[in-house]
Amino acid sequence: MTRLTGGLIDRSQTLNFSFDGKRYQGHPGDTLASALLANGVRLMGRSFKYHRPRGVLSAGSEEPNALVELRTGARQEPNTRAAVVELFEGLEARSQNRWPSLGFDALAINDLLSPFLTAGFYYKTFMWPKGFWEKLYEPAIRRAAGLGRLSMQADPDTYDKGFLHCDFLVIGGGAAGLAAALTAARGGARVILADEDFRLGGRLLSETGTLDGGQATDWVSALEAEFESLPNIRVMRRTTVFGVYDHGIYGAVESVSDHLPEASGRVRQTLWRITAKRAVLAAGATERPIAFADNDRPGIMLAGAMRTYANRWAACPSETVAVFTNNDDGHRTARDLAAKDVQIAAVIDARPEAKARGDYRLIAGGMVTGSRGRLGLKSIEVQANGRSEWIECGALGVSGGWNPNVHLFSHHRGRPIWNESLQAFLPGEDGPPGLIPAGAAAANFSTADALRSGAQAAKRAMDELGIAASSPDLPRAEEADYKVAPVFNVPGKKRAWVDFQNDVTVKDIKLAHAENMRPVEHLKRYTTLGMATDQGKTANVTGLAVMAELTGRTIPETGTTIFRPPYIPVTLSVLGGGDIGRHYRPRRLTPTNHWAEGQGAVFVEVGQWMRAQYFPRAGETHWRQSVDREAGAVRSAVGLCDVTTLGKIDVQGADAGEFLNRLYCNIMATLKVGRVRYGLMLREDGFAYDDGTCARLAEDHYVVTTTTANAGLVYRNMEFARQCLWSDLDVQLISTTDAWAQIAVAGPKSRALLARIVDGFDLSNEAFPFMACAELTVCDGLRARLFRISFSGELAYEVAVPARFGHALIERLMELGADLGATPYGTEALGVLRIEKGHAAGPELSGQTTAAMVGLGSMVSQKKDSVGAVMSRRGGLAGDRRRLVGLRPVDPAGKVVSGSHLFAEGAPRKCDTDQGWVTSACYSPHVRSMIGLGFLEKGDERLGEVIVAANPLEGESARLLVVPACFVDPEGERLRE
Amino acid sequence: MSELIPITALGAALPRLASFGALEIRENVGLALASLALRRGTIGPRPFGLTLPGPGRWIAGQGVAALWTGPDQWMIEYEGRADLGFAAELKQFAAGCSVTEQTDGWVAFEIVLRAGSRPLEALLSKLINIDLADFGPGRARRTGIEHMSCFVIRRSEAHVAVLGARSSAASLWHALETAAKRLERK
Repeated sequence: MTRLTGGLIDRSQTLNFSFDGKRYQGHPGDTLASALLANGVRLMGRSFKYHRPRGVLSAGSEEPNALVELRTGARQEPNTRAAVVELFEGLEARSQNRWPSLGFDALAINDLLSPFLTAGFYYKTFMWPKGFWEKLYEPAIRRAAGLGRLSMQADPDTYDKGFLHCDFLVIGGGAAGLAAALTAARGGARVILADEDFRLGGRLLSETGTLDGGQATDWVSALEAEFESLPNIRVMRRTTVFGVYDHGIYGAVESVSDHLPEASGRVRQTLWRITAKRAVLAAGATERPIAFADNDRPGIMLAGAMRTYANRWAACPSETVAVFTNNDDGHRTARDLAAKDVQIAAVIDARPEAKARGDYRLIAGGMVTGSRGRLGLKSIEVQANGRSEWIECGALGVSGGWNPNVHLFSHHRGRPIWNESLQAFLPGEDGPPGLIPAGAAAANFSTADALRSGAQAAKRAMDELGIAASSPDLPRAEEADYKVAPVFNVPGKKRAWVDFQNDVTVKDIKLAHAENMRPVEHLKRYTTLGMATDQGKTANVTGLAVMAELTGRTIPETGTTIFRPPYIPVTLSVLGGGDIGRHYRPRRLTPTNHWAEGQGAVFVEVGQWMRAQYFPRAGETHWRQSVDREAGAVRSAVGLCDVTTLGKIDVQGADAGEFLNRLYCNIMATLKVGRVRYGLMLREDGFAYDDGTCARLAEDHYVVTTTTANAGLVYRNMEFARQCLWSDLDVQLISTTDAWAQIAVAGPKSRALLARIVDGFDLSNEAFPFMACAELTVCDGLRARLFRISFSGELAYEVAVPARFGHALIERLMELGADLGATPYGTEALGVLRIEKGHAAGPELSGQTTAAMVGLGSMVSQKKDSVGAVMSRRGGLAGDRRRLVGLRPVDPAGKVVSGSHLFAEGAPRKCDTDQGWVTSACYSPHVRSMIGLGFLEKGDERLGEVIVAANPLEGESARLLVVPACFVDPEGERLRE
Repeated sequence: MSELIPITALGAALPRLASFGALEIRENVGLALASLALRRGTIGPRPFGLTLPGPGRWIAGQGVAALWTGPDQWMIEYEGRADLGFAAELKQFAAGCSVTEQTDGWVAFEIVLRAGSRPLEALLSKLINIDLADFGPGRARRTGIEHMSCFVIRRSEAHVAVLGARSSAASLWHALETAAKRLERK
C-alpha cells in the first residue's frame, strides 16, 4: 500500500531508513511504524511466547507488538516501540525475538506447542531438580521467550537531569491539555506543558473534525505561536511525565536527541524533576481491543490507531479494511478511511441497533469469530444472525471502547472507579493531591468536552492558587456522544488474545480462574497479564472483564492491580541521570594531594577522600617494601603524613565544656587551656562509636577531631544534641575539616624538624609537653596550630595551616628535613604504626564493641552523665568479657589474618566455642613478624597463652601467642621525651 | 607575610577562569569567609555595618556581605581579604559572638552572565532544585549539587556564586563545567 492523500508529513523531504536490512523511505513527521505501513510492511515483530507474527496495534506509547531493536553497536536499544519512534535519516531498525528471520521463525514451533505452554507452565514443569532452575531452565527459557537483546556494551551516550518548578504542570498536549495551558498561561501562572509526542495536538492530529470550522492543526499552530510569545509557559515536546511522587513532584523524561541522526555532543535524554503546585492530567485515553479467535494477526489493529495512521500519516495497512466495533467510534474510522478512497469491506458492530454512518456495508449485531493469513491478515470470519461468512480484507480496525489513562492519577494508590455506562475505569477521588484529571483521561470524550474540561481544570487550579484567570473563548468543536456496549471478548474455543505482548489469551485467564488464581494481583502474576514494556495498557481492563465474567462478579468487584511508576519504559541510564565512572560521586582531595601525585604516591579511596596509601621509591617492587621503609622512618627519624581527612569541629560558647562533657564518655570540662585530651564517644545504646582528640584553645573554645569515616556522623550527632537535646546550653558548632591542612610530623626527629619552621616558639618538653596544643605562626608569619599528639607511639606532632598552604608546607618540611631523613608516609604505614602501638581504629570501633572491650572501660566517667554511659553499664554490655589483646604468630614466619576467629587450642571450631576475632593485622617491621590485634574472651587474663586463629574461608589456621596490645614502647616513654 | 606560597583549591598557582558562551565561571580565591554565630544573650551585631539578613537571604555592603546559614548563624564574606586572618578582624566587630575562620574551608565559584538572563536560569535548573522564581538577587540557599553540599548565592540578576567544600573543588568544577558546556551546545 502506498501513501494516502493528506497527512501531517513533509512530502518535500525524503528520509531513508532500514528495517531488517531492507531500505525504505519515509518523510519528516513519520514514525517508524507509519513509515513501515506506508511501505506496505505489516509484519513488524514476533510475540513473546508463541513467536506469532505481529504487526503494529496502536499509534502511541501503549504499543505492545511492534517492538524493535533500534540503532547499532553500543547504541543498539531493544524493545523500542515503533509506534513512537520518530523517523530520522539513516535510522536502522531490526525485528527481534525471531530466528532466523522475521518471515520464518523457527521458534514459531512454540505456537504448535501452545496447549502445553499455558499459564503456569514453567512453574509446574521445571520444578526438579531444584538446582537446575537457575543454571539451566531459566537461561534456556529466557533465550527462547523474550524480547530484544542488549548490546552488552557500555552505554556511550550521556544523560542529564534537571529541576523545574511551576504553578501548573499540564500533562498532555491534546485538546484538554492545550485548553488548560492556555487558560493558565493567559492568567499569568508559570506553566509547563509536557507532551510525549513530537508534535502538539494529541488526538486532534488524528481526527478530521474542525475547530471553529477550520483545521484543528491551524488552531494548534496559533496556540503554539502564542505560547512562544509568553514568557511564563514552557512547552516541552518529547517529554513524558512517567510518575507522580510526594508533594507535587513529577518525574519526566525528555528525549533530547533520540530523534536525531547524530547526537553531536548533546545528551540523549534528560530526567526532569518537576515540582508543581497544581497539575492537570490530560493524558487522553487508550482504545482497547476486543478478544476474538486469532485476533493478533498483522493488519489487525485498533480502529482509532488505524484512523490516526490514515489522517496524520496518510498510511494504511491495506487497500481493503474492515472494522469491528462495539461503539460509534469504529464507524468514524470507516468514514475517514472511505474518504481517503480505502475500500471498506464491512463494519461489524456488536450492537444489534447500530446504524451506518456512511456508504459502507454494516453488519449490525455481528461478531468477528476468526481470521486467516499467516504473516498478515487475509480474511475474517463474521457471525451475525445465525449466519457465518468469511470476508476478505487486509486490515481490521477493532474498537472495544476507550479506557481513560488514569495511570498517573492512580500512582498514590488512588483507586480508579468503574463507570457502568462508559464501561471504563475513571479517575477516583483519592488521587495525588493537586492533580486534576481532564479531557479523555476524565472520560470527556468529545473534542468540545475535552476543551471545556481542560479549561475548567485550569480555572479550578488557578482559583486554588489565587491566580486570576478566566476561561478563554474555546473553539466550536464536535460534541458527539460516546456510547459503548459491554463487549470485551467473543466466546469461542480458539485462542483469543487479551495481552498481545505477553501472549495471554482468554484461555489462560480461564485456567487461572480454574486454578484459583482469581484475585487480580494473582491473575497478573500467574498469567503475566499486564507485565513488560506496555504494562498492559491495552489489556488490563479486558483481562479484568474476562475474570469478572468467570467469577460472576462485577468488574469493580474484581478490582484493578496497583498502578506504579513509570508510566512508560524509562532507561536506567537516565534515572542515573548524570556522571558515571570517575565522576560518579564527588571526590575529596587533601591539601597535599597534588604534591603526593608528584611524588608518585599510590592512592586509596577512604569514603569520598583520596588518600596517599604509600609512596613507592625507585627499586621498590612490592608495596610492603615501601610501607616497611615508611614505618621504619617514623620509628628512627621523622615521617610526614597528611591527616587533614580527620574531622575537625570548632566548638565555642560559654557552655562548650559542659556540652562536650555530655558527649564524650570521659571528662572534658576540666581540660586545661592549651592541652589536648583523648576522647571516646558512645552511641545512645552504650557501644563505642568514635574516638579522637579534643583540644582546648581557650576557656570557651575547643577543637574536636573525629575519625575520617565518622566526621559527618559525629558533626550531625553534635548538631542534634545542640539543637534538640540541650538547646539551653550556649554552644556553637561549625566544621573546619576542609579549612586546615593538618600534617602529622612523627618520629624521634620531629621536634628538630619543627624547630626549623616555627616562629620563635619554644618546643622544649617543658614548654610544650605531650598533649599540649597552641596557636602559633610558622614559616614567617603563617597562622598555624600545633598539637603534640601521637598515633604512632613516637614523639609526634600534628601541625595545621590554612588549607591552601598545605602543599607549600609539606614541600618546605621535606626540604628542611632532608638531612633528618624526613619521609612521607601513607595510610598503610599509618596503620602499621598504630597496630604496633595498639591504638584502636575503625576495625576495633566497629559499632559492636564497648569501651571496656577496647581496654578503655575506666574512661566512662562515673562522675557525670554522658550519651550512652548508662546504657554501657547494662548487663549485656558490661558482662562482655572479650578484651583487646595483641597477637603474634608462634612461628615467626606465620600469618595473622584479620577476620580470623579465635579458639582455644584443641577446642572444636563452632559458634558456641568461638572466643573472639582478629580485628587488625599487618607485618610489623619493628617486631619483624606479622602481628595482630583482636578481641579475645577474658583476653586480659590470658597473656602468654597460645590460641588458634581459624580462617575457614581460606582453609587456614594459625597458632598465635596472646600478648599485650602494644608492641612498641609499652611505657610510653618515647611520647614524652 | 609568610614565605609559603599558597595554591588554589583546584591545585594551581592561579585561579581558574572559563567561558561558556555568555557564561563565565571564575574561581574566586580572594574571598575571605568567616562564620558568625550569636552566643546566648547577644543581640543584633552589625559587623562592618551590615544588617544581618533573615533566612534564605544574602546582603551586601562595600566589599563585605553576609548570608544566613541557620538560626542565629551567618557566613560573612569579604572580597579580596583571603590573605589575612579574616576571623580575627571580624571578631572585633562581633562582641558576644562565636567567630570561626572559614576562608580555607570553601571554594568559591562566581558564575557571571555577560548577556541576557535565560542561560543563567537554564544552568541553575540543571544544578539545583530551587524554585528560581523565588531566587532573585539577594537570595541564598544551602543546597546539594551532585551530592555536594553548597551555598548558592544570587549576587545579582546576572551573577550567582557557588560555595562548596574546598576538598571537593575539582568535582564541583566538573559539575559546573559539564552543565555549562551542555548549555553552550544547545
